[in-house]
Amino acid sequence: MSSELYQQLLATTTGLLLLTAVLQVWGRSTVRAIGLLVIQGTALAGLVLTVGVQAGEAAAPLVAGLLFVVKALVMPWVMLRSARLIGVTRERSARLRPAVELIGAAGLTLLAYAVSGPILGDTTDPATRAVPVGVSLVLLGFWQLLIRGSAITQLVGFLMLDNGIAAISSLTSGGLPLVVELGATLDVLLVVLILGALVVRMQAEEGHIDISELRELHD
Amino acid sequence: MTIESLAVIVIHLALAVTLTPVLIGVMRTTRARLEGRVGGGVWQPWRDLRKLLSKQPTRAPGSTPVLTLAPILLMASSLMLCALIPLVSTVALPGVPGDLFVVVGVLLLGTVALALLGLESGTAFGGMGSSRHMVIAALVEPTVLLSIYALSVPAGTSALAAIVQARLADSASLLNPVSLLAIFALVVVVIAETGRLPVDNPSTHLELTMIHEAMILESGGRDLGWLELGSWLRLTALLGVVANLALPWGVGQDAAPLSLLVGVAAITVKLLVLGAALAAAEVFIAKLRLFRVPELLAGSFVMAFLSVSASYLVF
Amino acid sequence: MAALIWIPLILPLSLALVSSLRQRSSWTLWLPVSAAGVLLGVGVGLILAVGSDGPLTTGAGLLRVDALSAWMLTVVGAVAVVALWGGIPHRTGRSRNIGTFATLLCLFLAAMTLAVVADNIGLMWVAIELTTITTAFLVGSRGGHGALEAAWKYVVLGSMGVAIAFLGIVLISAASRTSGEPSLSWVVLLAHAGGLDPSLVRAGAALAVLGFGTKAGLAPTHSWLPDAHSQAPATVSGLMSGVLLSVAFYAILRVQAIADAAVGPELMRGVLVTAGLLSLAVTAGLVITQKDFKRLLAYSSIEHMGLLALGAAAGGPLAIAAVLLHMLGHGLVKSSMFVLAGRILGFTGSHQIADVRNLLRRRPDLGGPFLLGAAALLGFPPFVTFFTEVAIIVAGFQRGLGWQMGLACALLLVVFAGIARHSLGMTVGAQPDLDAARTSPAPPDQPARFRQVPIVLALGASAVVGFAAWPLTGPLIAAVAALGGVR
Repeated sequence: MSSELYQQLLATTTGLLLLTAVLQVWGRSTVRAIGLLVIQGTALAGLVLTVGVQAGEAAAPLVAGLLFVVKALVMPWVMLRSARLIGVTRERSARLRPAVELIGAAGLTLLAYAVSGPILGDTTDPATRAVPVGVSLVLLGFWQLLIRGSAITQLVGFLMLDNGIAAISSLTSGGLPLVVELGATLDVLLVVLILGALVVRMQAEEGHIDISELRELHD
Repeated sequence: MTIESLAVIVIHLALAVTLTPVLIGVMRTTRARLEGRVGGGVWQPWRDLRKLLSKQPTRAPGSTPVLTLAPILLMASSLMLCALIPLVSTVALPGVPGDLFVVVGVLLLGTVALALLGLESGTAFGGMGSSRHMVIAALVEPTVLLSIYALSVPAGTSALAAIVQARLADSASLLNPVSLLAIFALVVVVIAETGRLPVDNPSTHLELTMIHEAMILESGGRDLGWLELGSWLRLTALLGVVANLALPWGVGQDAAPLSLLVGVAAITVKLLVLGAALAAAEVFIAKLRLFRVPELLAGSFVMAFLSVSASYLVF
Repeated sequence: MAALIWIPLILPLSLALVSSLRQRSSWTLWLPVSAAGVLLGVGVGLILAVGSDGPLTTGAGLLRVDALSAWMLTVVGAVAVVALWGGIPHRTGRSRNIGTFATLLCLFLAAMTLAVVADNIGLMWVAIELTTITTAFLVGSRGGHGALEAAWKYVVLGSMGVAIAFLGIVLISAASRTSGEPSLSWVVLLAHAGGLDPSLVRAGAALAVLGFGTKAGLAPTHSWLPDAHSQAPATVSGLMSGVLLSVAFYAILRVQAIADAAVGPELMRGVLVTAGLLSLAVTAGLVITQKDFKRLLAYSSIEHMGLLALGAAAGGPLAIAAVLLHMLGHGLVKSSMFVLAGRILGFTGSHQIADVRNLLRRRPDLGGPFLLGAAALLGFPPFVTFFTEVAIIVAGFQRGLGWQMGLACALLLVVFAGIARHSLGMTVGAQPDLDAARTSPAPPDQPARFRQVPIVLALGASAVVGFAAWPLTGPLIAAVAALGGVR
């Protein structure tokens, strides 16, 4: 792969990751957020493939294919099924004003760029220079978990966080050993399945999926 | 003023004026076909325009010269916009470069002309439309500035032509995080500024939901014709900026006849495809409640802001 | 001998398969107990084997048992035997989905074993995340609003914490790129610690400790723990408190060893002291006014994890050996306490401390062990927790954590007062309403000698180990050495 093409692909995939993350914080429709997860998963798989092929790893297409199937197809499908099953396609209430949410998201992205610099040091490697995008995904995922009440949107935030970590892993270390990648992907898939089942159960037992209404246990 | 840049400007203006009604026609036809209607055909806006321009305007007694001047001002600002924006070629006018700030200023001039016209008519709807238009304009301008500014950081200049040239030279920067965020923000504000769905419905007949249409409700004849053409030209210019920033291929870099020809063909294709895509997307979108429009524009502002900061921090 | 490692991995998996096939049979409940028993046996066998031959490696280098892993396996096995055996419900109180319950418990044991024997931070992470998955349904299995809420919080917070740990692992893996061959193996990382990129290791280790600290119930990310422990069935609470928290803490110890070797002990010491003191403070603040006895036990777990963090922060052979021994003592006592709490819940039908009075008179088979267990949790002398707590505090003073240990002692006193007050109230406190006692239904859950055996064994062992520790000295010293020796 020529260096120019490599840089172009890196820039495109990381750009898509950041764009979808900001759009997920911006939007209120859960169905659209899940749709954005498909794009995000595809971009992540593309990123892993790009970095892996550039580094000459034989397992890269396998890992990328697995990521694509799990993160861009299976997980969104599971979540969409849960959302359809309980008939919730939109966020009901906002805890914060939309402007505050967005300003927070902008601040976190800036923070991601600010903290990644000192940790990574001075580098000319294009992959390492794109790490802040992964860090912003992680922070925006946390932000989503923090500000959103709906269980499904929280799940989307969790997946954004996970995609961010996968992106950082691919960008900094060129991916982890195959066993670990397989195990980690499987684990996240299982977590999503469990949370999806819990969401359906929550709707059946409580009649809503608003996390902020869960206040029975406290001290 | 060299002869080359003069030629380029003439081509820009001629292209804009001839292409704009076709663009509107294509957009309307696309939408009509997707909605299962036949539509008026691609040339209908041309015929409408010709008919309107040949008619005497009716002006209410006691109206001020604003009623006469606003359409001319809008038309003039739109033409100037088309001349400044690198639609066909990046050859710039010496002395008056197509600077980002100049472009936004000229854009605002047209906005103000329209708003004054709405107020001048003295009816409830006109004033309402003007106030809504100004709200949107106030939210749109900073985003336009910021998002193009983000793209101007790697180029090192705020002249639009130079930015397009730099993006043409460095194709790796076309899809990086900075430019993706900036282009997305720009698309949102262009939609808002030109009064398309989901911000404003250009084909509405319900006065209460109108923004753009409410302001020109009282105009007729030649005045209306100029107003329509002026607003359409703004759409052409803004879409052209987005198209050439996102996909700069085909823009001429000199005034040689061949490159101008390629440039004309490229921008025509880009504009028509982009317009058709916009119209197709509009079929699936419902109009946003007015109170949620600031939310939408705040989002695009944040994206533009992010892209500016990202452009300083990494790329 | 390396084949021994595979037994505790494969046996629970096959037992899980069996119990998932025989959903309705009540004997499947004994399968996890037998798996835990085998785990304990294998742990002891591995301690002996490692003691004579040195570390064992198998599975293409992914699995490795050194003295520390063998010790942890033994702890996991011993605690799991107590929790699972004691937690077998009485014949009258059995639900219909016994098989599923047993399956998940077996899978949990397999995951815990994998976490302990993996010689790869990534694989260990996968195993720890698997424990979240297997326990998620166990926490929520009781049904109802509270259990659902607890399960949701547990899974979201748990997997989020573990995700942060994964980020840390990714950064550590990136740091290893500068030392030549990128690797996630403990041994390789520890051997090449000097060549790791310092700033990446710093960030990675801090994130990994924060993430695993969430799983270990360390403040400030402890909030899932009281909810999950109070809502889960007794067995599961006991397992989580005695096994899961310890294994998560084991991960912290391993990460700490690498970070200390790479960038010096100051970073980890700061992080762990902060987490430890915060945990103690959280417990001290909430234990006095606690109304729910299962939550009381859960907060006591947070306190003990905080103590372990302080011990790990102090470092050195004395403190680390005390930490490892404390894991065993605390695990045994806490799992039997949760088992007892489950039986008290079955007897009184209430979570409230105020509803449980005069237990020593009304149900001596519950009240007696409960009082003794509470004494052990508080660190009264015959029990091993006394010795380990003293050792941790002394080691802290020796290694320059003077004011921190002073503060810890003050907080421990507050916790002591709170837990002592509540447990004395539950066991010997006067019945406020005698009518209620008379009209309360006859105890459905008659004392059976057999069901007392694990609790007596656990409390007995924790009382004896403190004095007769000589057989454990060798393995403990070897385990400390496996962590990089004297630091």
